[in-house]
Amino acid sequence: MPTLMRRGAVATAVALVTALAAACAPGSSNDKPESKAPAAVSTDVAKAGNVTLTVWDQEVQGGLKEQIEKLNAQFQAKYPNVKINRVSRSFSDLQKTLRLALSGSNPPDVVEANQGYASMAQFVKAGMLLPMDSYDQVYGWKKRYPKGLLDLNSVTPDGKLIGSGNLYGVSLNGEIVGLYYNKEKLAKLGVQPPKTWAEFEQALATAKGKNEVPIAFGNLEKLPAMQLYGILQDGLTDKEAVRKLVFGSGGSWTDAPNVQAAQKLADWAKKGYFTKDSNSIKWDDTPVNFAKGQGVFMFGGTWWAPDLNDRMKEKVGFILPPAAQAGAPAATMGGESLPWSITAKSKHADVAAAYINFITSPAAMDVAVETGSLPVLAAPSKQPEAALMKEVSAAWAELSKNDGTTPYIDYTSPTFTDGFGGPLQELVAGKKSAEQVMKAAQDDYSAFQKKK
Amino acid sequence: MSTRGERLVNHAVLAVFAVIAVFPMIGIVTQALRLPGLDFSTFGTAWREGHFATYLRNSVIVTSITVVVSATLSIMAGYALGTMRFRGATAVFLLFLAGLTIPTETIVVPLYFDLRSMGLDNTYAGLILPQVAMSVAFGTFWMRAYFRSVPRSLLEAARIDGASSWTTLWRVLVPIGRPAILTMLLLTTMWTWNEFLLPLVIINSDEALRTAPLGLSFFQGSHKTDYPLLMAGALIIAAPVVIVYVFLQRQFIAGMLSGAIKE
Amino acid sequence: MTTVARRKTPKSGTGSAGPGAVRRPGRAEVTRSPGEPRRLGWLYVLPALLVYGGFLLWPLVRGAQFSLYDWDGLGTAEWAGLSNYTGIWTDPALRGAFGHLLILVVFYAVLPCCIAFVLVAVMSRTKIRGLVFFRTVLFLPQVVAMVAVAVAWQWVYSADGPVNTVLGWLHDLGLPDWRRGWLGDFTFALPAVGLVGTWVGIGLALVLFLAGVQKIPRELYEAARIDGAGPVREFFAVTLPGLRRELAVALTLTTIMAIRNFDLIYMATAGGPGNSTKVPAYEVYNRTFNTGEVGLGCAIGITLAVLAFAATAGIGRLVEGKGA
Repeated sequence: MPTLMRRGAVATAVALVTALAAACAPGSSNDKPESKAPAAVSTDVAKAGNVTLTVWDQEVQGGLKEQIEKLNAQFQAKYPNVKINRVSRSFSDLQKTLRLALSGSNPPDVVEANQGYASMAQFVKAGMLLPMDSYDQVYGWKKRYPKGLLDLNSVTPDGKLIGSGNLYGVSLNGEIVGLYYNKEKLAKLGVQPPKTWAEFEQALATAKGKNEVPIAFGNLEKLPAMQLYGILQDGLTDKEAVRKLVFGSGGSWTDAPNVQAAQKLADWAKKGYFTKDSNSIKWDDTPVNFAKGQGVFMFGGTWWAPDLNDRMKEKVGFILPPAAQAGAPAATMGGESLPWSITAKSKHADVAAAYINFITSPAAMDVAVETGSLPVLAAPSKQPEAALMKEVSAAWAELSKNDGTTPYIDYTSPTFTDGFGGPLQELVAGKKSAEQVMKAAQDDYSAFQKKK
Repeated sequence: MSTRGERLVNHAVLAVFAVIAVFPMIGIVTQALRLPGLDFSTFGTAWREGHFATYLRNSVIVTSITVVVSATLSIMAGYALGTMRFRGATAVFLLFLAGLTIPTETIVVPLYFDLRSMGLDNTYAGLILPQVAMSVAFGTFWMRAYFRSVPRSLLEAARIDGASSWTTLWRVLVPIGRPAILTMLLLTTMWTWNEFLLPLVIINSDEALRTAPLGLSFFQGSHKTDYPLLMAGALIIAAPVVIVYVFLQRQFIAGMLSGAIKE
Repeated sequence: MTTVARRKTPKSGTGSAGPGAVRRPGRAEVTRSPGEPRRLGWLYVLPALLVYGGFLLWPLVRGAQFSLYDWDGLGTAEWAGLSNYTGIWTDPALRGAFGHLLILVVFYAVLPCCIAFVLVAVMSRTKIRGLVFFRTVLFLPQVVAMVAVAVAWQWVYSADGPVNTVLGWLHDLGLPDWRRGWLGDFTFALPAVGLVGTWVGIGLALVLFLAGVQKIPRELYEAARIDGAGPVREFFAVTLPGLRRELAVALTLTTIMAIRNFDLIYMATAGGPGNSTKVPAYEVYNRTFNTGEVGLGCAIGITLAVLAFAATAGIGRLVEGKGA
């Protein structure tokens, strides 16, 4: 029998080599999609005939889900000829499937494609997203959004530089990563919401001493530690330096402040300030555990606010991450939610653009407030009612005022979640030093910069 | 010859390992059905929220077509390779044989890109055709062995009666080969039903086409550590195969271990 | 010799062991009936061959071809020669993944066979009542979808799951606190995944060996006892040689299971924490669809096919001796 098997292998190998010679190289030389002239854009959706618009979003949680459902219903009521086929899945499931679906033969019309070199820049480079500049001229998005926010959604057509080139999407909600705290527990510990790192570390030590979990933290997906690192980095470095570093125009991950930030993270882990076995806890479970009282503080995005508000009511508070020194300007990661983009293969690009314009209109910002979300632009007539949402919008306003947002760390390279997030898990587990971790980050970074 | 004590040890050892073998499954059933109270509400929630009715239907469609097509093709190919002599027969057999060891992981990436360019991603066909291909490698091998074991006299008798090769196959050989064919059907059913990587890659955007295991993976994505719900989902997708297995365990085991059990 | 078929719950068969096989397959001695056209065979084979060629062999060819390119799956590909294959060795994460595979082979294949051997040695060869029942139960893990198995084991290992509950009781009795998040622990995640494989494989090995040991002639044991052999020598002199075939089958099936370990890793750990449970089967998917290294993903896939083939051909030879 082994002889038979071997002969089988030989036969297969012969067939294989023969066929190889005949096969053609993978990948097609793709032409970059062109933006059509503004004059050719049709803004009259009613005249588009019966259209089914397939839209992929990641808004699966509480208020965010309600917000999209409402906006979709309004759009369909306004244009009965359009049917929206909504496909929503969690952030991580969307990340896993979007790449496959976009390159598929029948991609959706509108997608939420994450910013950064890991997603949007790659899709742009491959010609999968439609440049939206002519729609911008028709609908006037440049007037609607501050330049900084549009820059986050802009990429050069070769995918090499984020922040310039064409516009590939606009966002609906604002988002920042801040510090949630359990008001009841703080009161019991006799601690005030911290304004500086010194105060914060004091509070953490107090909480630890009283057998509380100081920081609710779940890091199974590797991204949470990257966000936490980013917050610490923002405290130790100038925000311009972070922006340059992430977008690949200067600096190194092994620069002293960047190593210090990792060291701080390691120190906190060593002191037991995080939930036990945080590397085995799922990210989305963190706010659930926090709401159950497992954690005095929790770093997290404003996207968790509507859900936390439902679960904890007035027991939860939100502030910007404490500054490294008293009086330092606030800075944290964030900016805007995932941008809504049009796929290059969409047959209904004009309708898609009208839809995106509709869900980012001033009236839509009111809907965002109504459903407990943080609109990216000021809502014209609605004010948040819940205490938590007021705190969230105050933090957002303060940050916007002094331009304090820095990009998410995972924008850096397509492999950064593994290349940096993996070592960060080891840092949290006490298996690697800050220097080793930052060297790993730099290795991944320079490999990507070279290839780019 | 055997003492009571010896027999007791034997049964104790087997019992311990039987418990270990079913322990996680018991966890699934008790949590999904809230035993011992028997409460179907978790199960119902999972059924609705997980869209398992749709996913099970897809699995049934994909599995039944794959099994029927691959069995038909395998019987025909195995018949030819087992009873007829023609130029290239050995080479063809070796080609099928080599396919037995190729892991899905090896072909799934190129399959995805080529099916995509044919427009077969997110279609039943895109799921069925590759699984038929994987199944005929085994099926042909399996059926050839059966047809070789059929006494020549039977074939000759059929010929003398004036039966064509086609009639001989379907009227004479297939009916008496039911045990072998049943085993093949069972194994192909199980493999197709349980397949996960292929649907994960091929059904990447059309949620309405997800198979049951794929559905469970996305269900886990949105329910994380709500174990009772997840267990209910796991029960839903595992139960059909397990039920068939319990009734036809002999064929299953014999098929999967045939290499050793037959001398 | 054993042949292992597709997918993680592999099927097997030997050349001699088709259903109801009567003859050993030597050189084909099948004769053509008079009057049967020579090309007729091809007509019967062709449909199967077309599907098989188009959807299994052709992807294999394409996979081999892709593996020679540097391609992100989106744009144009660039010729890369064998650099993807050398990349498997130079990339520490990938080298690690193949290292993990080796460790998993121990858990998936070696451990179940060893345990099953010990059990079979301990158990006397008396008739077992309810054998059908035990066989059915022990074999059950083989037929449950791996995706469902993964969900069940995540619960077993979870913070409040049975493992930690038992360890909690032990802690209450004064033992150290061994509770932890098993699948998120750098030291224990890989062994935890490995034990799932042991669990799947053990029933298979036990069922095989039990069947095999019944076939060893009793006289051999009696002869060994007359020679004054103790239980250990008896095992090595009689039982082990008598179970060679079964051992080869069990090792092959379980090793292939370890190689095709995608479902469990994808569902339970996604390779984490860090890279500690990355395995090649998962990296095929991860590199292709997450990080956009299609050529590398295909190179890993081809390497896996070679390994699976080598395991199938090699284990039989190794255990059964040359020319078995």
